[in-house]
Amino acid sequence: MSDGIKRRDFLKVLGASGAGAALTGCSPQKVERLIPYVVAPEDITPGVATWYTTVCDGCAAQCGMWVRTREGRAVKVEGNPNHPVSGGALCGKGHATLQHLYNPDRYAGPTIRENGTLRPTTWEEAEALLAQRIQGAAGNVLFIAGAMGPSMSGLADAFLGAVGGRRVQYDALSDAPLREAMLRAFGTDALPRYDLAATRFLVSFGDDFLESGPSPVEYHRGFARMSAVDEHGTKGRFVYAGARLSLTGQNADEWIPIRPGSEAALALGMASVLAAGGRTAGPWASLLSTHDVAAAAQATGIGEDAIRDLAERFVSEGPSLALGPGVGVHHRSATAAHLAVLVLNHVAGNVGRTLHLQGGPLGATGSYADMEGAIAAMSGGQAGVVLVHGANPAYSLPAGSRFAEAFGSVGFKVSFASAPDETSALADLILPDRHFLESWGDSSPKPGVVALRQPVMQAVPHFDAKQTGDVLLSVASRLGHALGGATFYEYLRGAHQTMHGTDEAAFEAAWREALRKGVSEHPVEAFPAARDILPPAAAPAFDVPALDGDGDFILMVYPSSRFGAGEFSNSPWMLELPDPVSKIAWHSWVEVNPAAAEARGIRQGDIVTVSSPHGSVEVPVWLYPGIREDVVAVAMGGGHTDFGRWGTGKGANAMTLLPAVAEEPSGAFVTLATRVTLAPTGRRQRLVTTEGSDSQHDRPIAPAVAIAALGHDSGAGHGEGAHGPLKELQGVGGFVPVDAGGGKPEAFPLEGSRYGQYARHEEKARWAMAIDLDKCTGCSACVTACQSENNIPWVGEDQVLMGRELHWMRIERYYEHVDATHASHVDVRFLPMMCQHCGNAPCEPVCPVYATYHTPEGVNAQIYNRCVGTRYCANNCPYKVRVYNWYRFSDMNVPEPMNWQFNPDVTVRTNGIMEKCSMCMQRIRDAENRSVLEGRGKVPGDGDIVTACQQSCPAGAIVFGNLRDPDSHVSHVVRSERTYRVLDDLINTQPGVSYLKKVTFHEVAPGGHE
Amino acid sequence: MRKHWLIGGVAGAMALAGLAFIRAQDAQRTAAPGGAVAMVASQPIAFPHNTHAGTEPGELGMDCQYCHFSAERSVDAGLPSVDLCVGCHQVIPGANKPEEVAKLMKYWTDKQPIPWVRVYKTPDHAHYPHMMHIAAGLECQQCHGEVQTMDVITAPDPLWGGKDMGWCIDCHRKEGASDDCAVCHY
Repeated sequence: MSDGIKRRDFLKVLGASGAGAALTGCSPQKVERLIPYVVAPEDITPGVATWYTTVCDGCAAQCGMWVRTREGRAVKVEGNPNHPVSGGALCGKGHATLQHLYNPDRYAGPTIRENGTLRPTTWEEAEALLAQRIQGAAGNVLFIAGAMGPSMSGLADAFLGAVGGRRVQYDALSDAPLREAMLRAFGTDALPRYDLAATRFLVSFGDDFLESGPSPVEYHRGFARMSAVDEHGTKGRFVYAGARLSLTGQNADEWIPIRPGSEAALALGMASVLAAGGRTAGPWASLLSTHDVAAAAQATGIGEDAIRDLAERFVSEGPSLALGPGVGVHHRSATAAHLAVLVLNHVAGNVGRTLHLQGGPLGATGSYADMEGAIAAMSGGQAGVVLVHGANPAYSLPAGSRFAEAFGSVGFKVSFASAPDETSALADLILPDRHFLESWGDSSPKPGVVALRQPVMQAVPHFDAKQTGDVLLSVASRLGHALGGATFYEYLRGAHQTMHGTDEAAFEAAWREALRKGVSEHPVEAFPAARDILPPAAAPAFDVPALDGDGDFILMVYPSSRFGAGEFSNSPWMLELPDPVSKIAWHSWVEVNPAAAEARGIRQGDIVTVSSPHGSVEVPVWLYPGIREDVVAVAMGGGHTDFGRWGTGKGANAMTLLPAVAEEPSGAFVTLATRVTLAPTGRRQRLVTTEGSDSQHDRPIAPAVAIAALGHDSGAGHGEGAHGPLKELQGVGGFVPVDAGGGKPEAFPLEGSRYGQYARHEEKARWAMAIDLDKCTGCSACVTACQSENNIPWVGEDQVLMGRELHWMRIERYYEHVDATHASHVDVRFLPMMCQHCGNAPCEPVCPVYATYHTPEGVNAQIYNRCVGTRYCANNCPYKVRVYNWYRFSDMNVPEPMNWQFNPDVTVRTNGIMEKCSMCMQRIRDAENRSVLEGRGKVPGDGDIVTACQQSCPAGAIVFGNLRDPDSHVSHVVRSERTYRVLDDLINTQPGVSYLKKVTFHEVAPGGHE
Repeated sequence: MRKHWLIGGVAGAMALAGLAFIRAQDAQRTAAPGGAVAMVASQPIAFPHNTHAGTEPGELGMDCQYCHFSAERSVDAGLPSVDLCVGCHQVIPGANKPEEVAKLMKYWTDKQPIPWVRVYKTPDHAHYPHMMHIAAGLECQQCHGEVQTMDVITAPDPLWGGKDMGWCIDCHRKEGASDDCAVCHY
């Protein structure tokens, strides 16, 4: 005893101190308050959502939106099904606009900068000051603004007309070259309308229409209809001709890796083949004879035979369409490239079939040349007062533009930015605009379509913001000008009443209907569907354009599908969303071809200095087989220096590598302008990526089926060791209910339980999901929709590096065939992966506290309050879809008022809890409750439940419903011959999520993948 | 050896004291008179449910859902807004407790909400839908107790206290409602 404690005594002491430790757990219950309304608002029922219709202002597409509000707070945004652009879908950036609404870094109120320091002020003082300075400017007011709706731009112009001044439209991402080309080709000063759904052979010359451009959601919808296999077993073909595979390129069937800048040569080469084959080229015939196939092969680096073959297929596989280069490929001859593509479309007979001269998106077509003029005016002292709205040129223009110096030299600078950015950091007066969700306004996404924007809630009270339209009207009236209303709301109504042209009473009804429906259509003067192409102007330049510098890589700077030109770089949802192409989050990277990197001794993760004659940035290298060996690419949106707590200091600003050049004749900013060198710095970093592997390693994760194999009863696609009976089950959706024997132990193992373990409850549903991989483009809108709906916090860069990202859904991306050296088929597979709700779930038996189990309706449920955080379930899950709250991320990372966005119908999880996709259980409950209350029975009808991911998907790839109902949409879908379940053949997990294989034109090996 | 018994004894005594402390906390939440006084002292206005909703002579017999208006169509039962109370009390000074009505009118003229102390609460990890239970035919009193007889709301024990869900499950099993965990916990 004297030489140490005995075992029994040790255990006694352990037990006693354990009991003592238990005392620390008790504490008196806190008093909780219930706060009623002082005056109850009429349209709010506590606990019931109120929906408002409005229009997204996240980009130029102007998708219609439905906003779900709870107790006066916007908690979710979705697409408006009545709107012709969104059709009910919404992209990831659209969801992220909610984070801009509740951005804690928004300006608290009007602010004056005096002697370098910011001082809050009142609206009264601020407007008086602005009025005074405008008066002193004596007609030299310059208004730099991004694209605005028709009423707001009308007001701005009226304001400038009254006080003296002019407006310059600055769009960081502009489709000016296409618009200019349309003017030159057909005399129409507008973007064309593409009918993707009617197209059977699509060639994109670097147009990344699924992720940027005038209307990504709308084009997604059309593309899904074109490219997904239809009931006849046919599908449209998509060829991507470009130097780098964007997300759009990864969805192509063929990749022609042409030299950047050679789009015009390729288009004209194809057109010349068609002209030689008998198609009429009209006034372009002689030009085509010089820009022939040989010239095209020379310029592009692609063989003549491939070009000839492409041209012939362009007119023999059904209606075709060619798309000219997008913003990422705007070189010094971008207009010429678009013109060449229009010529190709004309010669192929597409004009009036798949390309229409009327009804296209209005988009954003501002000209950088106009900004050059504005910068010159500012430097030359010709702008007394400069107002900036909806634009951040101090960030998105390179140093060579001299914007910051010119702007800084202006006597009085005003910014209407809601939150700090690089441009407002230079302003003398900040008059924070309200967020579009708090504002009145309108939008015209295409000619003849007008949508109204209304506030969906009272302005977030933390911020004293005022709508810019109200400010302009107030300042104008101080200066003695009455512009048509005391508030912008009055002005807007007045403008619409004039547009409507009816009396007050009829207008009131029409106004309310327009607000409810979200869109009204007005007849537009039609002009002929097809016009002859105009003859070429003197000496258009179709040569491969010049590039600055002599580095061995050509630099491509492209719009980010997460950040745009950088306006969403302060949204933690977008920052943490893995980039759809690279799967990298939180920082910038430079895409380098693996062979090119190896030749230079550069490895993945090496931090290199990318240098052009105009600037240099340091970024880590990401090896990407989908880019030519002589090209490197950096996405826009990184490197903010003044953009709030999340956006500042992340990544590198690729714009600093570019010269400040306006393309002629459109005036667009040139992004493909220079060559660069890559110099290793000697430092490395671990890339913050969520990608496990880019290869399937011969596992049946995302198999595909060749189109030729469809409709044949081949055993192909089921993988090795397939269960014979599994095929029979596909006829019943894969699941057969079995008698549970009353749950008595003697009844186990249940007869036939291999295929389902549910008692017969005919009156219950069997929830299941089906995802069509032939439609999924990997855009990741579903990931953000799920995050927004289910209160999923972001974890930050360090935690993602440890693999602790909390996304319930992820998009896996596998390369099957990507060849950057010559024209060939391309095969990239996207797989949205979430909890598979396995019938034979590996996670369920291992939970020591029964926190996860299978509901009788077939959903794998996670009960947060039971979970003790063993994490055995995540260990056992073969799909790795379970995520763990290592810290109290919802508290730590989500400051006021960002937590206002939380969905009250979903539990906010604290630390120590596992979570995963719940099949939007809150939506299932809501639909069941409504079904019972409305007397429709206990099981909701088909389509009553739409999961958040399904709701958002622009391609309509996700279907959710009741498998027990043989007429439900999901039951029809899973009866397809393309249906499979991930890894099910190998491990018999019997997932409730079925996938439909991607259909390829090229042969796919049996087993389903190459 | 004695040292070990000393440690064990002290820890054991602390454990027992702690248990007693916890039980005492529980007792405060029951219908014990000491507990009730603690509750009424903490409500900003001494609102008497019996005067308004009671069925005794002299009591008004108002329907629960006149004030708790969203119970039949929402997960939340709803709390009457100040303007709802003022709707009557702008002309009713209150014979029994005019000083309490004066407090109400002061909240109204100050345009301030009344910060009621919450009595009934299901935990945040459980989603309780009022409208489904009303649609199933439950009376408010079955869960909330005979509120219309209460001068001061005291949550009845062992029915309430929010301590565990066994009581909810018992009723669900008896009435044939679902006892699937995911019906309430998601």
